[in-house]
Amino acid sequence: MEWKKIIIAIDDSPRSFNAVEYVGSLLGQREDVVLCLLHIYPEPPPDYYRSGASLDDYRKEQEQKARRLFDRAEAILSRHGVAAAVITSRCLMADHKSISAAILDMQVREHFGTIVVGKRGIPKAEEFLFGSISNALVHTGKDIAVWVIG
Amino acid sequence: MGKYTEISSLPDAIARNVKEHRVTRSLRRAPRVYTDTTDFTSIDYGDIIQVEDRYFLITAYTKEGRFGVDDQVKQWVPKVEDLASGVPYIVKLVFHETFDIHLGQFIIPCYRSPEKEARVLELVQGRPHFMQGEILLDTAGNLVRVITPVNGNRLDKVIQRSERAHEAYFFEELPDILARFLDAMQAISFLHAHGFRHGDIRRDHVFVDRYTGVFHWIDFDYDFYLPEKPFALDLLELGNILIYLTGKGDYNPRELLADPKLGDTVLQTIAPSDFSLIAQNRIVNLRKIFPYIPEKLNNILLHFSLGTEVFYETVEEIHHDLSDALHELSR
Repeated sequence: MEWKKIIIAIDDSPRSFNAVEYVGSLLGQREDVVLCLLHIYPEPPPDYYRSGASLDDYRKEQEQKARRLFDRAEAILSRHGVAAAVITSRCLMADHKSISAAILDMQVREHFGTIVVGKRGIPKAEEFLFGSISNALVHTGKDIAVWVIG
Repeated sequence: MGKYTEISSLPDAIARNVKEHRVTRSLRRAPRVYTDTTDFTSIDYGDIIQVEDRYFLITAYTKEGRFGVDDQVKQWVPKVEDLASGVPYIVKLVFHETFDIHLGQFIIPCYRSPEKEARVLELVQGRPHFMQGEILLDTAGNLVRVITPVNGNRLDKVIQRSERAHEAYFFEELPDILARFLDAMQAISFLHAHGFRHGDIRRDHVFVDRYTGVFHWIDFDYDFYLPEKPFALDLLELGNILIYLTGKGDYNPRELLADPKLGDTVLQTIAPSDFSLIAQNRIVNLRKIFPYIPEKLNNILLHFSLGTEVFYETVEEIHHDLSDALHELSR
């Protein structure tokens, strides 16, 4: 497994950027790593199309949001001395699957060995209804390292 | 006011049936024929919905008690009679709405989606455990769902009809009820496997066939948006039905105190972890109220309690555990 091929899964939560800080501080000067900033967004809500908007509109909207997240994350990594050459970014929709499943799909498809993700620390009831991406990655991921940053 | 025509526009045999029908004979105005159901509020008792050469006379409206309000008329869901065959149906007209449901401290966005219900009806055609219906398109392209009513009663009414005390109900009636509930659970699992949620699992959305006793799920037009846990609400509600069936009702502290056989002695044993994960005044640890409930069955209920450390992630997991518990209970 290519442990140094690392996905940093981010959204707009402060915990996500803690995760980026963590990776930056740990791997700052290294050039033997591959970092992929990954933003997975959910499918649009069921009533999205009723306003006349299309899936393309939704994707564009989400990609613009993701671009802002990536810019912020790249700035953090750069501050820690991570070379721009080792950073890539991807923005994908969780198409007919949960966000955690979409992250793992990409990890398997592109042979990433490590996933880094922020942890919100939510109450049990909230986890039952809304899910915890970090827990799902830890429980479902196979043959990988998952770093959960609180 | 939506566009309509007079009954003279109908084929002769159908127009004759309209004129002779008990509903229209007592009507103090001329019945109207609608081919476009977009403005369903204009369509009324005694009117005819004409869709794809079928003619449905509105004979009544369905009602629903919810959110503490009893018997609200659902104007988009008339009871009808097919004027060619005389067969009664329930027609569901297109009504989109978005609303939030409050579950404990959480708010979950919900959607009424005729499109989703139509797709589910197509998927479950011919399958037991689901209400059956066909999809017709009116002249405006609205999905008109023509539902065959289940000949039976709501599950909660069937359970409450039992006059046995809990212990007798538990040992003599519940095993058979749970066996049928297991089949109904598998039906929900079938929906999930095809990417659909039921969306509105409630004990009054299960109808028990009067003759076969088979449980049928009804009403598939709700959908909810939980991208990371798409089936969580269905699982929660399956758990709530199971708790209700096991207890022959729901229990909260006030009900315990009101029951002379239970009262404060039992209430003193209830810990915070014994309450529901979401509806935090509902007692889930029923074994503390009815000590003869076997641990295996009670443990399933505890998955929905505040004290739980693990959740069910799929219907199959609950089904597996409940099959086991039922096996033990039936011995």
